[in-house]
Amino acid sequence: MYNIWLICRRELSSFFFSPIAYVILAAWTLLLGVFYSGSFLNYAVISMQIMRNPQAAARLNLTPTSAILGPVFSSTTIILLFMIPLLTMRLFSEEKKQGTMELILTYPLRDIEVLLGKYLSAVLMYIIMLALTFIYPAILAAFVSVDWGVVGASYLGMFLMGCAFMAVGIFASSLTSNQIVAAMVAFMVLLASFVLDFLSVSSGPFVSELLRHLSLGLHLRSFIQGVIDTRDVIFLVNVNILCLFLAMRSLEYYKWRG
Amino acid sequence: MIEVEGLTKFYGNLPGIQDVTFKVNEGEILGFLGPNGAGKSTTMRILTGYMPPTSGTVRVAGFDVTKDPLEVQKRLGYLPENNPLYLEMTVLAYLNFVASVKGMRSGDKSAAMERVVAGCGLKNVASRIIGHLSKGYRQRVGLAQALINDPPVLIMDEPTSGLDPAQIIEIRDLIRELKGNHTIILSTHILPEVNVICDRVVVIHQGRVAAEGSLDALATDAQEFVVIRVSALGDAEALSSVLSTVGGVRAVNLKDAGSGSEVHLEVQVEKGDDVRADLAGAVSAAGGRLTELYQERITLEDTFVKIIGGEQRRGEEAAHV
Repeated sequence: MYNIWLICRRELSSFFFSPIAYVILAAWTLLLGVFYSGSFLNYAVISMQIMRNPQAAARLNLTPTSAILGPVFSSTTIILLFMIPLLTMRLFSEEKKQGTMELILTYPLRDIEVLLGKYLSAVLMYIIMLALTFIYPAILAAFVSVDWGVVGASYLGMFLMGCAFMAVGIFASSLTSNQIVAAMVAFMVLLASFVLDFLSVSSGPFVSELLRHLSLGLHLRSFIQGVIDTRDVIFLVNVNILCLFLAMRSLEYYKWRG
Repeated sequence: MIEVEGLTKFYGNLPGIQDVTFKVNEGEILGFLGPNGAGKSTTMRILTGYMPPTSGTVRVAGFDVTKDPLEVQKRLGYLPENNPLYLEMTVLAYLNFVASVKGMRSGDKSAAMERVVAGCGLKNVASRIIGHLSKGYRQRVGLAQALINDPPVLIMDEPTSGLDPAQIIEIRDLIRELKGNHTIILSTHILPEVNVICDRVVVIHQGRVAAEGSLDALATDAQEFVVIRVSALGDAEALSSVLSTVGGVRAVNLKDAGSGSEVHLEVQVEKGDDVRADLAGAVSAAGGRLTELYQERITLEDTFVKIIGGEQRRGEEAAHV
């Protein structure tokens, strides 16, 4: 356990020694800030219009939480789709290219400790990213009452979704010594899992259901509505486990091939 | 301390090394020689538990490297070829990380870091970023990380490659200071280095052990006969006919008449006989006056080329059969 923490700490310090962490954190807060102020203004306009039509207002059932924070939380999937491959691409690829992989694998560490340490560092980085977004519900709470249950469910969903993205990214990074290839592979896999949703529209009922279940992006939807569906939780956790398992195999293959 | 038996590694269908067997005793420094691509790095990587062998066993301090890699790795310092380091870290942060990963805890750790920083001459650069250091300093950092937990076994893959002569001497001195307390395997291309540092060498060629032993023994083995150069004043014909009658002499060749009446002869003598005094006597008996007589020393390079050339011929013969 302590070894995992050692690897994780080294990786985290690497994130912050290089500009990557700062660039990603800056872009992340900037983009979400744009989404947030956008939906805040939208909500103001909509509520003005709705005041003239109370019947419609009752039917729409717009709460500040679902109307302002919902779109912001949903937009994280698209932003993460681009950012997480950039965050995870160096984790194994850089070590392979620099040759430090040879050193780290000859220290008295298990392969799984190295893998989990790196994964944990990416997860902690993501927790920092998520913590920064907490400013949006906090600002909102200063003006209106916020449904904290929905916010909590949304954060759980975003956390699980982001971790799954990280696991895909780490697996991609374990495949190659080229960071750009690692980022592209992760991006393509994540993008493909989003596109499955589109494909489901034109397929038969069974296939359509299957594709919708496999689509990563859709699993965030019910969390944002405040519903913690065990199917979603299990799916996202399984994506993590599967990708880490594949990364482990890939590491073993890398060692065997020499 | 290190026992390697029947080690074989295939890369796909290509053999990297085949049936490599050798032993290193405690406190010994073993030189690992061989041309590029001979399988030196492959062998070292298997020894460190980085890469699993296709077959064969490695035991370090009694632990099997495929079964107990962690136990072996705890007792091992490794300096890989090209000395990979985390360039974005400072020297101290990096050494601290390595010490923790190697299982050291705070008390021993700071003492160990002080020891290697002083021992490897890193005091002036301890708080600098590794990426900003010169190659010589980086090499010392590489050595420092290998030495930090004072491991009984050290494996170094070309520790002096790419350094300037002054740096080579520094690193060599550092390694020599480790002699006795550590069992060391080091690979190198620089043959005089082997002569200076190593107790014994293993020559590996085309993935197989081509020769093993002390350098002197290898040099004698590689020669078919000993050459003694004789220069004397006198008649060339008379001298060569008399010298060829001395016991143990295989042949006498007249090299050149030389200036004036000095004659230069190359006398080929069977291995194992020291006939220098007899030769000197024979020169006087033939009425010549000896000006110079010495046994030609075979150079390390010659030894190396002969071993490898011999291996190649043997390999080709085997292929013909």
